[in-house]
Amino acid sequence: MKSVKNIFSFVIPLCVMLITFSMYIFTQEIIANYKTKISDDYSIVLITNTPLIKDDIKSLAGIDVKKIVTLEKDEIIQKVKGSLSENSVSLLKQRLPFFYTLHLETFPTSSQLDVIKEELSKISNIHKIEIFSKDHNKIFSLLVLNQNIIVVFFAISLLFSIILFSKQIQIWFYEHEEKIAIMQLHGASILYSASMVISHALIGAFIAFLIVSSLLYFIFNNLALIFPPELNSVIQLDASLNVEFAYLFILSMAISITTIIGVLFKYKIRKYG
Amino acid sequence: MIKAKEIYLAYDENRFIIKKGNFQIKPCEFVFIGGASGSGKSTLLRSFYGAILLKHGQLIVDGQDISSPSNRTLRSVRKNIGVIFQDYKLVKEWTIEENIMLPLKINGYSNDISRQQAIKLLSHVKLSHREGFYPSQLSGGEQQRVAVARALAHNPKIIIADEPTGNLDDSSADLVWNLLKNANEQLGITIVVVTHRVPKNFGIAFRQLSIEDGIIYEVC
Repeated sequence: MKSVKNIFSFVIPLCVMLITFSMYIFTQEIIANYKTKISDDYSIVLITNTPLIKDDIKSLAGIDVKKIVTLEKDEIIQKVKGSLSENSVSLLKQRLPFFYTLHLETFPTSSQLDVIKEELSKISNIHKIEIFSKDHNKIFSLLVLNQNIIVVFFAISLLFSIILFSKQIQIWFYEHEEKIAIMQLHGASILYSASMVISHALIGAFIAFLIVSSLLYFIFNNLALIFPPELNSVIQLDASLNVEFAYLFILSMAISITTIIGVLFKYKIRKYG
Repeated sequence: MIKAKEIYLAYDENRFIIKKGNFQIKPCEFVFIGGASGSGKSTLLRSFYGAILLKHGQLIVDGQDISSPSNRTLRSVRKNIGVIFQDYKLVKEWTIEENIMLPLKINGYSNDISRQQAIKLLSHVKLSHREGFYPSQLSGGEQQRVAVARALAHNPKIIIADEPTGNLDDSSADLVWNLLKNANEQLGITIVVVTHRVPKNFGIAFRQLSIEDGIIYEVC
């Protein structure tokens, strides 16, 4: 009973940390999907004096340019000609600059937009750039903000969890101190003599992984139950659960093993007798 | 087997417990180390398995210099000696067979072989009827016999015992002395025992060292 209680005092902070990590992965996935979705609807308008050499613009602010579409002058004139005479239309056609819409592979952040504008301004024949920064997607900004909050929360929970794990592992060491000392007196290595402490920590890490994985599996299969229908267009998860589980398993074991090594390093061999 | 050359032992720099110790213990010898309480006999014994390190000098145990040993050397020395303590130092959560199996498992023997050897040794120390018991279920004398069995388990070349009969009544003490004498006579194990009282009519040849004011000398 005491041993179960001990293991759970290790499992709970680890679960909190893994849940935060899952939330981070979730948000990252949602943002990636949402970015792709809105990037299809988003474009930058460029106005040039002379025709643009499209091949010169392959990427902007590290984002690949998906396509540059030339807006046909005839179409533009068609929309505005109204009661203009044939001569005026012909003159307008001659004077009208070249219009292009530039589509990106992924949706840019606000800071990337600033860089894009700066890079485009350096191209001499472009004399007007419209990035529609005011319309820059507000949901996307909220998602990014959310992700950043989760990253901070994850970092804090990681720090506190490691402190709690190392305290718990030290408690286990004190509980087994006599046994460890007797084993070391007979020539056991620190790893061998602390094997019960190590197994406690690894069992704890595995239990935490199982709990959080089950929770994740439930959430993935019941998104409609958890999130309101209004968010259906935003929350789309394509990620493979197996990959998420692998991340959780690796993180759970890595944190436990790193903490054990840290505590063992402090403990070292006792010249006990 | 054990060779000390100009050894100095101290818990702090200012007060040496053992000063300029020179002695040699040869294979198959039975050696008692005596002296008054606080004379440093247990401290000297602890230095044989590296529980206290020398301040100066050289100490060789079973061919290995443990004057300032690495962890690897220390483990190697400890693996090859048997140790017996006044307070038995048995693991309470383990059965007595599991306690006897400990040095065997540390030396890499399989669980099955270790268990077979432990059961054989339980019979040797006349505790077969206690198989499966925990140390707390045994008397002091019985626990010390388990400790002797554990010290013998991996066929060590040396057994070091610190007041092995200090907590025992006379009949239990006799049983423990007989086990140690048999180990020395029949198995050729070198035995070094710290005691403040050398048993009378011991029955086998032994040497006696004594410590007084930090000086080790041979008792004739």
